[in-house]
Amino acid sequence: MLDPYLALLFMALLAGAFALFSVTAAPYIGPRRYNRAKLDSYECGIEPSPKPVVGTGRMPVAYYLTAMLFILFDIELVFLYPYAVAADSLGLFGLVAVTVYIATIGFVYFYEWRRGGLEWD
Amino acid sequence: MTPLTPPPIDYAAVAPLLIVLGAACVSVLVEAFLPRHQRWPAQVALSVVAIVVAGVTLGVYAGDAPAQGVITLGSTMAVDMPTLFLWGTLLVLGFGSLLLIADRSVEPGGAFVASALERASAGAAPGSTTGPSGVDPEHVDRSYGAPGDAPTMQTEVFPFTLFALGGMMAFVAANDLLTMFVALEVLSLPLYLMCGLARRRRLLSQEAAVKYFLLGAFASAFFLYGVALLYGYAGSVRLSAIAEAAVGTDRSDALLFGGLALLIVGLLFKGSVGPFHTWTPDVYQGAPTPATAFMAACTKVAAFGAIARVLYVAFGSTRWEWRGVLWAVAIASMVIGAVLGLTQTDLKRMIAYSSIAHAGFLLLGTMAITQAGTSGTLFYLLAYGFTTIAVFGIISLVRTADGEATHLSQWAGLAKRSPLLAGVMTFLLLALAGIPLTSGFTAKFAVFSAALSDGMAPLVVVALVASAIAAFFYLRVVVLMYFSETPADGPTVSVPGAFTTVAITLGVVVTLLLGVAPTLVLDWAGAGGFTG
Amino acid sequence: MSPTNYLLLSGLLFTIGAVGVLVRRNAIVVFMCIELMLNAVNLSLVTFARINGTLDGQVMAFFVMVVAAAEVVVGLAIIMSIFRTRRSSSVDDANLLKY
Repeated sequence: MLDPYLALLFMALLAGAFALFSVTAAPYIGPRRYNRAKLDSYECGIEPSPKPVVGTGRMPVAYYLTAMLFILFDIELVFLYPYAVAADSLGLFGLVAVTVYIATIGFVYFYEWRRGGLEWD
Repeated sequence: MTPLTPPPIDYAAVAPLLIVLGAACVSVLVEAFLPRHQRWPAQVALSVVAIVVAGVTLGVYAGDAPAQGVITLGSTMAVDMPTLFLWGTLLVLGFGSLLLIADRSVEPGGAFVASALERASAGAAPGSTTGPSGVDPEHVDRSYGAPGDAPTMQTEVFPFTLFALGGMMAFVAANDLLTMFVALEVLSLPLYLMCGLARRRRLLSQEAAVKYFLLGAFASAFFLYGVALLYGYAGSVRLSAIAEAAVGTDRSDALLFGGLALLIVGLLFKGSVGPFHTWTPDVYQGAPTPATAFMAACTKVAAFGAIARVLYVAFGSTRWEWRGVLWAVAIASMVIGAVLGLTQTDLKRMIAYSSIAHAGFLLLGTMAITQAGTSGTLFYLLAYGFTTIAVFGIISLVRTADGEATHLSQWAGLAKRSPLLAGVMTFLLLALAGIPLTSGFTAKFAVFSAALSDGMAPLVVVALVASAIAAFFYLRVVVLMYFSETPADGPTVSVPGAFTTVAITLGVVVTLLLGVAPTLVLDWAGAGGFTG
Repeated sequence: MSPTNYLLLSGLLFTIGAVGVLVRRNAIVVFMCIELMLNAVNLSLVTFARINGTLDGQVMAFFVMVVAAAEVVVGLAIIMSIFRTRRSSSVDDANLLKY
């Protein structure tokens, strides 16, 4: 039957619509603050100039911080995929377990947010 | 799809563990949502309450726990008599260390560094000298925070302590190697960070953290490769499954013993045994003293609890094959600890080498795969932990203008200045040396007699010689304190605050009680064996 | 191809990582070598899962990945903090603690 493919089609449509929405909405609702960094070849990260990084130069610490946070929150997803595949057979027990798991990560996220880890400067 | 039956969970059995880890999560939220000046009291209250409640829960459960133990959480946790004893040990030792960590009176604001934000604002204040290349961390990184403000500390150490404690509790109860690995990391990662948070001597502390981290990660990679090989051998990482697979099989012994070797290297590293000890002196010296106390007492308990369980449950039947190698390790550990301890001039390093020698003694108990060996090891861990916490508590009291005076020469003639402190320190050092009427003697006796009855007489002889050598460097400190001239610019002895006083008193009283009347605790330690 | 070859590869990678930890002097590179060791373990876990015909090994690989990520973050934070105070990530420069 077509059923499994129908779900896939919906998923694809949803994804496409979300992408389209984000791209069109961003220029209207996002703030626009141009500065020198925005015009650089790489907007974030180490400046691509021949300036020495060690010694006189400064380390763009915020970049590393964000990268580390990304690694942490990104990799935790690895447990959600197996759960999503087996969600039916795991039943209520699985749901509670995965909720506890996400809540635990949520605590860390709150900490991150309240202590200014998500602010760039 | 067929619904999966959830694994039965004996919540009463694992409640202490859940309480400690739950409190750790709550204390992360406390860090996030409370204003800065409320954090310290809230965190101290939360941690103390959590540990006490967990201890009471444990006591209630242990009152009528099944003697053969229960295996719960889908056979990942074995809550048997040794587990309960080790949990109790970890909780009381954790409580003692927590008091040292929370103390803010000896060092203004506590031994841990102020939060980064305050230090940064203080560093930018006018008057601080920042050279263009030679960045002097003492000036940029103002250890007390902004000038004029009351000194604060990084209250993140409390969630770190609770997470590490929870990891240790899971570590000693783990019934399969994967759980053991995850618990190992949960206990290690906070400890790495705690090492780097000293208020004084920032570079030394950070250097200790880097060393501990790199070597610790190296060791856990070995542990993990051992897990992989054992999984390949037995098709499961459950400890009892490995034991079953090893009986009457034609499978490759290379996988079994290769796996055991790598696994045990990782565990011995955590217990700072023998040739895998290289991190110990550096980290003990560099870490803030309360963190050192926590690490020295609790990590030792966790590591040896796990070593004993692995050797007993998974490798008990093959003990004649691996025991020879561990003999060599134990001898190396005792000799290294005793001999290198003699040459030390720093008190914290000296205690570190003493802990390496003690690790060798403890290994004797874990190698004896008997009931007596297990109970002796458990008793030793409790006794050693309390003495160590009290020793580090005392060390944190002897100070000069720029922090703790840990150099041995600075302790000369201390008895004239503070007879009480010198007397307590002498008692504790005698306990570490294993003199009768202290817990150290009872513990050594229990472990050595267990080793003797399991056919390890030559090792016991080596252990006795090593104890004698080690006694020499403990006594050297005593002689220095009582019979040396006081240097003119000697350190002062701080008056301890309530927290430190309680921690030291607790350590001293238990050290004395376990030496004079050890029967009750020995009975607890011998109440039952490991289940697998 | 016989699965044993994967085990050999995994052993080889683990050894390269271990040797790297012992001979390299930059903390970041040492750290990368440790990660190589962990990933070598993942390879052998998955191979053993295939040989044994059980799924446990693959699940364990997930756990190893997550734990390794947490370790990366803690490690980088520690290395960063020492780098910011002393402007170098060489492990040879970290020499205040000696016998």
